[in-house]
This record gives sequence, structure tokens and C-alpha cells, in this order.
Amino acid sequence: MKNQLKVLRAQHGMTQEDLSQQLGVSRQAVNALETEKHSPSLDLAYRIAAVFDLPIDQIFESPYEKPRKNGRLK
Amino acid sequence: MTALSPSHLSQDQIRRQYVIRSSLFLAGYVAVNMAAIFGAFDDAKPRGAIALALVVAAPLAGHIWALLAYMRDADEFMRAVMARRFIVSSGITMALTCAWGFMESYAQAWHAPGFLMYPLFWLVHGAVSPFIRSSN
Repeated sequence: MKNQLKVLRAQHGMTQEDLSQQLGVSRQAVNALETEKHSPSLDLAYRIAAVFDLPIDQIFESPYEKPRKNGRLK
Repeated sequence: MTALSPSHLSQDQIRRQYVIRSSLFLAGYVAVNMAAIFGAFDDAKPRGAIALALVVAAPLAGHIWALLAYMRDADEFMRAVMARRFIVSSGITMALTCAWGFMESYAQAWHAPGFLMYPLFWLVHGAVSPFIRSSN
């Protein structure tokens, strides 16, 4: 899932290790999030949002467009 | 800022716990096998021999428990990656052992002892792990 994690982390002057400790996950997990090798659970997404004090949709880019006429997500 | 971890242990502590538990169980496995190799159980009666076989296997069950406990306590990314590696390794090991079993039945291949399945599983696990590094 595309995200702004690397940018936000750099803006806050944090290393992957720093962020992993605040989130209570491994450094590998932070790296996997940044390189889009892992899509976070809702719980982890909320923890990340709490660390940066931002809404989730400003950190993670929704992979879905607005519903089309038939109501199905693209 | 407060850590937002749901666990009271850090990921490093959880990993260390797994390494210690695994080392203890595998040391037990080696110790019982060494004792058997050097004849400590040579005079065991049939019932004793069955007990010995179970005692040798018990540390391996303990090792699997240590791994499952690690998966339970690890963060969601590590848990997902470990689960994928475990499933793929188990599948390949089962396919290989089944294939070998049929080769024994139909192609007179030499008999492979069942206890080789455990080291084979870890061998396969080691081979597939570098290729499974994503949870997606």
C-alpha cells in the first residue's frame, strides 16, 4: 500500500529503529511498510497515525477510487 | 512519546526468548540422541524403547511450540512472513516425503527413516525463506 511513511519519518528526524520502538514492531516491519511489502492492519495504521498525529488517509493512499455507477470499487 | 506496543515485551526480547527456547529444546534433543548413540539405553525393554522414542521426539514438539509462541508474540509483519514460510516449507516437505514414499513402494528406493522429515523441513525452510520476504 502506497504511503508517506518514509517522508514523515524523515521529517520527524526518526530512524526506522526509532519508529519501530514507538510502534512496538520490529525494524523489519517498518522497512516492509515503507517498501510496500506489507499492508498494515487497521490497528497498526491507527498506531502510525497516532505517532505522527495525522489522519490515516494522509499517511496511506487508498488503492480504491470512488465507487462507479454500479457501486463496485475499482 | 509513549510506545504503542500491544505487548509488554519488545520485539528484540521476543526474538531472544525464541532463540533461548529453541536452543534449550534442541540441546535436549542432541543430549538424548547422544546418550542413545553411546549406549545409555541399550538395555531398554520394549516399553522403555517406546518411552525413549517419545522422549527423543518431545524436544522437537517443544521446538515447534517455541516457534508458534514466537509467531504469536511477533509483530504482524513477522507473523505473516513466518506463517507463509512455514506453510510453503510444510507443503514442499510433505510433497517430497510423499514422493519418496511412493518411490520406496514402486521404484525400490532405499527406506528413509521418518525422523529425517524434521531436518528436511528446516532445510526446505532455509531454502525458501530468502524468497518469502513480503506479507502481500
